[in-house]
Amino acid sequence: MRIPCPYCGERDAHEFAYLGDATLTRPDPAAEDAEARFHDYVYLRDNPAGAHVEWWYHANGCRQWLKVERDTRTHAIAAARAAREADTPAGDAA
Amino acid sequence: MSRAQRNRLEAGGLVDRSQVLDFSFDGKRYRGHAGDTLASALLANGVRLVGRSFKYHRPRGIFSAGAEEPSALVELRDGGRREPNTRATVAELYDGLEATSQNRWPSLGLDVLSMNRLVAPFLGAGFYYKTFMWPAKAWEKLYEPFIRRAAGLGRAAEGTDPDHYEKATTFCDVLVIGAGPAGLMAALAAGRTGARVILADEDFLPGGRLNAEVHEIGGQQGAAYAAHVAAELASLPNVRVMTRTTVFGVYDGGTYGALEKVNDHLRVPSPFQPRHRFWRIVARRAVLAAGATERPIVFGGNDRPGVMLAGAVGTYVQRFAVRPGRHVALFANNDAAWRGMLAAQAAGANVEAIVDVRGDVASVLTEAAKAKDIRVFTGARVIATHGKKLRTIDVASAERGHERLYIDTLAVSGGWSPAVHLTCHHGGRPVWNEAVAAFVPGATPPGLSVAGAANGSFALGAILKEGAQQGAEAAEALGFPVPPLDVPHTSEESTALQPFWHVADSKGAAFVDLQNDVTAKDVGIAHREGFRSVEHLKRYTTLGMATDQGRTSNVTGLAIMAELTGASIAETGTTIFRPPYTPVSLGALAGHHRGKDFRPVRLTPTHEWAAKLGAVFVETGPWLRAQYFPRKGEKDWLETVTREVKAVRSSVGLIDVSTFGKIDLQGPDVGTFLDRVYINTFSTLAVGKARYGVMLREDGMVMDDGTTARLAPEHYVMTTTTANAAKVYQHLEFCLQVLWPELDVSLASVSEHWAQIAIAGPVARTVLSRVVDKDVDVSDAALPFMGAIEGTVMGGVKARLFRLSFSGELGYEIAVPARQGAKLAQALMEAGHEYGITPYGTEALGVMRIEKGHVSGNELSGQTTAGDLGLGRMASPKKDYIGRVMAGRAGLIDPDRPSLVGFKPADRTKRLRAGAHFLGLGAPADMAHDEGYMTSVAYSPHLGHWIGLGLLKGGAKRVGDRVRAYDPVRGEEFELEVCAPGFIDPQGERLRG
Amino acid sequence: MADRSSHDPLAGIAFDRLPPAGAYGAPGEPGVVASTAEPFVALVLARPGKAASVVDRLHRAFSVALADRPHAAIEGNTTVIGTAPGRFLVLSRTDADLFGTLRAILGTDATVTEQSDGYVTFDVTGDRVSDVLAKGALIDLDPVAFHVGDAVTTVIAHIGVTLWRSGEKSWRVLVGRSYEASFTRFLIASAAEYGLRLENKGSEGRG
Repeated sequence: MRIPCPYCGERDAHEFAYLGDATLTRPDPAAEDAEARFHDYVYLRDNPAGAHVEWWYHANGCRQWLKVERDTRTHAIAAARAAREADTPAGDAA
Repeated sequence: MSRAQRNRLEAGGLVDRSQVLDFSFDGKRYRGHAGDTLASALLANGVRLVGRSFKYHRPRGIFSAGAEEPSALVELRDGGRREPNTRATVAELYDGLEATSQNRWPSLGLDVLSMNRLVAPFLGAGFYYKTFMWPAKAWEKLYEPFIRRAAGLGRAAEGTDPDHYEKATTFCDVLVIGAGPAGLMAALAAGRTGARVILADEDFLPGGRLNAEVHEIGGQQGAAYAAHVAAELASLPNVRVMTRTTVFGVYDGGTYGALEKVNDHLRVPSPFQPRHRFWRIVARRAVLAAGATERPIVFGGNDRPGVMLAGAVGTYVQRFAVRPGRHVALFANNDAAWRGMLAAQAAGANVEAIVDVRGDVASVLTEAAKAKDIRVFTGARVIATHGKKLRTIDVASAERGHERLYIDTLAVSGGWSPAVHLTCHHGGRPVWNEAVAAFVPGATPPGLSVAGAANGSFALGAILKEGAQQGAEAAEALGFPVPPLDVPHTSEESTALQPFWHVADSKGAAFVDLQNDVTAKDVGIAHREGFRSVEHLKRYTTLGMATDQGRTSNVTGLAIMAELTGASIAETGTTIFRPPYTPVSLGALAGHHRGKDFRPVRLTPTHEWAAKLGAVFVETGPWLRAQYFPRKGEKDWLETVTREVKAVRSSVGLIDVSTFGKIDLQGPDVGTFLDRVYINTFSTLAVGKARYGVMLREDGMVMDDGTTARLAPEHYVMTTTTANAAKVYQHLEFCLQVLWPELDVSLASVSEHWAQIAIAGPVARTVLSRVVDKDVDVSDAALPFMGAIEGTVMGGVKARLFRLSFSGELGYEIAVPARQGAKLAQALMEAGHEYGITPYGTEALGVMRIEKGHVSGNELSGQTTAGDLGLGRMASPKKDYIGRVMAGRAGLIDPDRPSLVGFKPADRTKRLRAGAHFLGLGAPADMAHDEGYMTSVAYSPHLGHWIGLGLLKGGAKRVGDRVRAYDPVRGEEFELEVCAPGFIDPQGERLRG
Repeated sequence: MADRSSHDPLAGIAFDRLPPAGAYGAPGEPGVVASTAEPFVALVLARPGKAASVVDRLHRAFSVALADRPHAAIEGNTTVIGTAPGRFLVLSRTDADLFGTLRAILGTDATVTEQSDGYVTFDVTGDRVSDVLAKGALIDLDPVAFHVGDAVTTVIAHIGVTLWRSGEKSWRVLVGRSYEASFTRFLIASAAEYGLRLENKGSEGRG
């Protein structure tokens, strides 16, 4: 698989570390139901067949965390943006 | 004595008769020519029996002339280079080649296990599942040894492979796979646009069928035309022609796997050259022009040496100038096979008969045959064969009844199967095309198009056109301007064919899959027993498995199944093909990463220094660290380590701790940031001080620990454990880039820049004071416990000085630029000489931290909370931090969780073992009564007996209890005393001294 | 090592020592010459929103044609490499106080971290450099695609590197100090068929 790093250019997936679902937001630790929310945040994951937005870390490159839109069936990558630039809602290009 | 090549034709072919190559098969010596394969050279010498079959040990010969070969598998080379299951049909002949036959005992000619044929009823379809069901014990004693002896292929190499292998990556615009007529045209069309083109072919000679058949292309002989195109391609700087290179897999993002057999055509590789090279080819577009594989017709006795694919007969005659036999007949269902046979006849093969299942064959073919005195049987079929090597065949036809023909070579053709394999590697399924009676590519991987016979186009004119078109389109899609390309003219040729699979009324075993000894009858058994889907058929009968992956058998097998079920072939479908297309050597996949080069090794700044002192090294992650420094006369590592520990506790010692991860954090928000990633508080840490910190994962478990010092108001330096350095850095980047991008913090790994040496022991300060520069005050007042200052050492070398202790003794860590590390170690040795300063390794460090009750990697297992490790009180209740919420879950604060305590053997002479489980006194040894396990053990020189740390249910409140250590692996069980986890100086007086 | 034969270019070379300078692989004129150097190095990290200003200050100080992208800007004794947005490695052949120099140039626009002892550079020259590096790297090193001045941070033979093309036939590879021996072994193994001359300047010279 090859991932188009917005800084380094297209690179082999060997250079990256995978984290997973990038649509999750760290819950407010002060919320009343914080424990339940953190439980979902830490453990619950969708496993879609198709478009998926996920975190990849360019460990052997620019060390940026990238938000990558990947089709889990074909590994086709629709977009990859650096976390710091990706504050628009993920999936708007999907 | 070598014999004459009695079956070599006087003229023609693409072998170099001036180059004579000596080789041997089963010890007998023969001669061949440059340009031969082992198979063609064997046939030239009249060798027709080359192996015994997998299950039944039936005599087998050479069946094909390519990668599809199911039968002619031999062992090449010997010793560490021995290579079993080599297809003689693709093994390039070299001078000194030594091949031996496989799967025969005692000899190829007389094989006593051929009586397996008598037990054939027990070895039929599904025999693994049926015959060897019970009793279970018989597997080891009876069945497995029998199967191993009787069924199988070659022997693996013994000893280490002495050759060198490589991996490499290359990029191109257009990759063309296969250098037959379609591939040559595709590469030419793409190459002329200026695009970067790679043309790869597994053969050593480009041309494919143009070298194996007789054609005229634009007024040239086919082979000459192929050479002409290959020469032009070689002259283009943007085109790379890779021969002996098999593209074996299609991966994501236009990545293709290929194996280049750089030196398989030599007895031993050329000096400094690899044997094989594994290529990753990243291509923006690819054209698959892999051609097609001929398929046989199945009939009784179709496996005898002498029965051969018709195209192979043509190849041996035209390309290798070899007569496969003296008396040749053809059994076919298509026009192309006729043309090949007529051409072979013209080139000197003695074709005596043509048997065609079709009642109606074009008169241009039948007349041409008759004109050459070839007997023609139409509407006919071969119903039996005879001879250990083929001697006669029986032909039946409505017109002439039964007739026996005395022939030694039977060319068989049931049509052609496009080589669609690579199109399936992204899940595409081939589709049945009734018009050409073949599976053609379905959905192809992105960027890959298919041209020529691989696409189901079998007429040469169409193949050339399609190749040129696909090559041009691939380049054009990438924006390269395409100049016009004239596709040369070829004569029209008929590809007429009548599908025909199996002579149902033939006599004797009719083999569908020659490599796995699967017969038409086995397909029938699978059908009767309900294994009717193609995937079940494959697994139940093993049809299509092993080295040839059913190239000549898949389609025939499923066609026979379709006949039995009454479904169409399209409905029956085919199994899917997965990488690799042909076998890939493991050596090539490893490249130079073998043995100690399996992965890169990191050397510490003091590595050479330690080596000179005789250190024994240990791998800790990618690092090599000094484990201990044995001295003459010490009888084992324990004696050495005990001496090192005693030296530190009584005087002073030093160790390189450069492998710890070191991260510089700078910026106005570092304090805030550290408060969020550590459970304890760092924003309040004074400049010039260090603090031990624990960080959790978001699920509440401990991720890592280490000390972090504040060197300036906006400058901290963090240390991580050796093992987690990269992981922690990645985690911190995640926190900064994803969770809290508003924080102004810069991260820089400085692990490589700083060497760090720890010195510890009662006189550590005295020794340190001798290496620091005059203006650096290391007194207890200026540098108290957990102090951190910057200064210079050894006359102006920048240093960071930390007063820390892992050992429990008065201790310091001195960081200097890495190239000064060894010099610092030596300076400390000299400064401490009068105190007997002792270098120590990771073992002594481990002993001292266990004596002190400090946790390490064994305890930071990813399943322990800060509370489990006795560190719960460090957590600040005044702030949020990663993992806080989840660490508060009921299950993680349960006081009965296993938590850290110390252990002593009740009988002080006993040796403790890490991994032993704890059981209550008198409790049964089962999981229900498990109370935790021992994580770390050491022989304590301080106490004079073994001690341990472990995670025990209820932990601290059980100090003073007794439990049993239960170690079924070593068969040990004895009593332990539970104690607090600090075995030495619990008040910490030594380290504050 | 005992389990290696003479067909292995790494046979007989201790895996945990820096291989000595000399000729390796095929005899004759070497296809690749590699020499190590230890330039002064510092890492510059632009503070948030200050990348453009950092580029400008470095440009004015060193006359380098710099942009915030992966490339190598070389001028005189100074090389600046972009390794990530707002992140630059600065190399100097001569400035022993590069750290201090950069602090003065950049003020509060960037943090500076001293890295002089963290790296070793390999100057790799010759006709076959891209062929050799392609045996470890997963990036397009064809001189047609990788131009003079291009720089990448990537991995070669499982070793993290920053590499750039400093001339038609010359390349520089920046390798973590602890990996020097392993990277040298990669070069020896991969350049064997072309011949390698290894020039090891040791820890004395600054490059």
